[in-house]
Amino acid sequence: MPVECPRKSEMIRPIMAAALAGALLTSQAFAAEGSLVLYTSQPQTDAQQTIDAFKAEHPDVEISFVRDGTPKIMAKLRAELEAGAPQADLLLIADAVTMEGLKRDGVLMAHEGADVSAYPAGIHDPAKFWFATKLITTGIVYNTGAPFVPASWQDLLKPEAKGLIAMPSPLSSGAALIHTVTLTSNLPDGWGYYEGLAENDALAEGANGGVLKAVAGGEKLFGMIVDFMPIREQAKGAPVAFVFPQEGVSAVTEPVAILKTTQNPEAAKAFVDFLLSTKGQELASAQGYMPADPTVALPAGYPARETIKVLPFDPAAALAAENENRARFEKIFQQ
Amino acid sequence: MIAALPARHQDGLREGRLWQGLLLLVVLVLAGLPTARLLAQALGGSALALLLAPASLEATWHSIESGVLSTVLALLLGAGMALLLGLSDLPRRRAIGILFVLSMLVAPQVTALAFTVMAGPASPLLNAVGLAPAPGTANPLIGRGGVILVLGLHHAPLVTILVLAGLKTIPHELIEAASLGGAGSRAIMRWIVLPLLTPHLAAAALLAFVAAFGNFGIPVLLGMPAGYLTLPTLIYRQLVGSGTGVIDQAATLSMVVAVLALVPTALAALVLAKNATRRSMERPLQPFWRLGGWRWPGSLAAWMLVGIVLVLPLASLLASALAPTYGARLTPASATLSHFVEVLWRQDVTVRAFRNSFLFAGGAALLLALFAVPLAHGLDRAPKRARTLLLPLIELPYALPGIVLAIACILLFVQPLPILGISIYATPWIILFAYAGRFLPIVLKAPLAAMAQMERAQEEAAAVDGAGLVARLWHVVLPSLWPAVAAGGLLAFLLAFNELTVSALLWTAGTETLGVVLFSLEEAGLVSEASAVALSATAVVALLVVVIDRLGDRLPAGTLPWRF
Repeated sequence: MPVECPRKSEMIRPIMAAALAGALLTSQAFAAEGSLVLYTSQPQTDAQQTIDAFKAEHPDVEISFVRDGTPKIMAKLRAELEAGAPQADLLLIADAVTMEGLKRDGVLMAHEGADVSAYPAGIHDPAKFWFATKLITTGIVYNTGAPFVPASWQDLLKPEAKGLIAMPSPLSSGAALIHTVTLTSNLPDGWGYYEGLAENDALAEGANGGVLKAVAGGEKLFGMIVDFMPIREQAKGAPVAFVFPQEGVSAVTEPVAILKTTQNPEAAKAFVDFLLSTKGQELASAQGYMPADPTVALPAGYPARETIKVLPFDPAAALAAENENRARFEKIFQQ
Repeated sequence: MIAALPARHQDGLREGRLWQGLLLLVVLVLAGLPTARLLAQALGGSALALLLAPASLEATWHSIESGVLSTVLALLLGAGMALLLGLSDLPRRRAIGILFVLSMLVAPQVTALAFTVMAGPASPLLNAVGLAPAPGTANPLIGRGGVILVLGLHHAPLVTILVLAGLKTIPHELIEAASLGGAGSRAIMRWIVLPLLTPHLAAAALLAFVAAFGNFGIPVLLGMPAGYLTLPTLIYRQLVGSGTGVIDQAATLSMVVAVLALVPTALAALVLAKNATRRSMERPLQPFWRLGGWRWPGSLAAWMLVGIVLVLPLASLLASALAPTYGARLTPASATLSHFVEVLWRQDVTVRAFRNSFLFAGGAALLLALFAVPLAHGLDRAPKRARTLLLPLIELPYALPGIVLAIACILLFVQPLPILGISIYATPWIILFAYAGRFLPIVLKAPLAAMAQMERAQEEAAAVDGAGLVARLWHVVLPSLWPAVAAGGLLAFLLAFNELTVSALLWTAGTETLGVVLFSLEEAGLVSEASAVALSATAVVALLVVVIDRLGDRLPAGTLPWRF
């Protein structure tokens, strides 16, 4: 690609001489007009692909991203909001509950003109403050060397799995918080199921990336994880496979939203429009995600859309009890 | 002319005072300000309740425990290596020493990442030789044991450097006298070398403890995934999890870190200063220890240690960066360079991080190098009392664990600067400021040593001829000082380039450093990409070492850690 050449030469120009001048230039470039900053919880490679595809459509918009787990990126954003200098124009984070909280606090900007005709009712915010971009479910990953293939959430309580389970912590992952709320309100044991996991020595540290690393690396054999990670890595040759447990899965929609403090609302709206367009949805599918638009085909490795059973979930209750749920999880896993 | 001398002399003095005032200002701004701000914050609020909270107590215990146990390991390995290198007739001592010490320059988070990918069931190296543990076996290096082991291995070269310096203070005459009297190598070691070396061993142990205690890269990658939190990682997790709202708690905890780190540092300085009384010596200690039949076992042990601290970790990183994905088998057919392409060309964040680390490290090194000549000159000429006050203050931001400096900088800059009304929080300048403070002593060390060796006659002659201070600095001091300044600046660049602890708390959108992206990739489960970043960054360090080494012959002894 022609864009690559200047970047490469920038890296190898005489370092010491350019250092100070460069630092000056960089600090000004951050505030330049026509640029966007995206705060996202997508893995770095996906975020970069999304941006590259958007840039191919809108070459005049400069866009960069910052990536971290949803709770961490929110902490960063909240700190910046308090300091009165939010760096982000756009958010693309795990779950709609967090978005509802931001909407309640008056941080977001509505995008009235967004075309949502292709989408089923109820998937986006009716007031158009945030929009679902994908369907990301949380199920079970196992290492192909595991002694059994799990089929149900209850299988993680088996003695054969003792000490061999990794799961994301709601302190680090937005999807994990929704997952915890969904399972505890749907499984007959409620929070008792999580107490059982803790007794079975499940390790709850970090986010989904850590679970993938532990199970792909064979350090743990089972894990709770978002679907696209193991499905994608399995295709690349990692010794993992993904299971949609028979009781059903939890789901988040990786919503996108515009911050009302953006300096560049038109470019930000263009980014949202791109994610919601057929092209944007096809990109999500090509990356290994289930697209939110039901008319776009699922990527390889997924069962038919109608066979995936998503457990019901009450966002309003989840938002109201967010801190309580986190604290309860922390107490069970003693973090 | 003789009559004119006293007047000029007074002139010089007055000019000197102004100069010293300026120096004091620079040092106070870079070093004193962060510390004072931190103290003010920590002493307010309900500090005691927080300090006695179970999580704080546990993390404090983990920090002390991992610090002490890793120090024992570092001391055994490092001192053993130093004795072999400094006293014995081990073949290829110099090469072993250089490689061993270079392992210390690999960033802690790189070492930690290398050890995690080396040891688990997915280890590409162990799998290649069929020795990998079965799936379902925990990675032995994740958790308490791994943190202690890797900290110990990482700091062993530090002990080696300090002990080798200690060996040089022992007069060879003592050894000669003893062997003329019929003492064997073992008796000389037991009754002469070890007693004289005790203060150096003690200081080395104290400094290895401080280094381990304040380390962030190793416990964050090896301890945190298993819930083994030390004080720096606890502070980090609280801050990134809850934002600056918990900055008061973080400030209080970081005061504990500061105190627990500064006490051993001060003790070490005291021990070394007490021992600094020069022994009359015709020539320093020469290798006297003939290994004989122990030559080969000794060689084997030394090379194995080099292999464990340097070769194996780098080979694991390479294997992990070339594998198609983490956990997949690496074969000649499946090997791919795509992860290097991804991080060096495709991904904006990693490309930007390379650029940022170059700019921050380069900017800080350049800034400090510019200050180094007048600063070294001023400190050298300052009255003794001013020096004993200023030198420890300059050392402070480097002696303090990075997490403490980072929190001090957040507190300093989270509000807009007074008078100016601008805020450098969440800009590149806050990282540049922190780096400048942190690496000031690194840049100053060599010029100070060179200054102390410089003849004053030339400069005095120039003063007599009417040359002002700036002219003297430019024409007389700079020409003999520049190799030391350049080496100091490059060393600071080398350390800052791979820095993680300070930038982990100070980065924002657009100012990510290499350390930050490495950690962030690893957290996202992109282990192969993280390995590619780690290796590329280490390659830059290796290149720099070669460049700095070229300056080596023109530098005061002891400037370059790998030359002894």
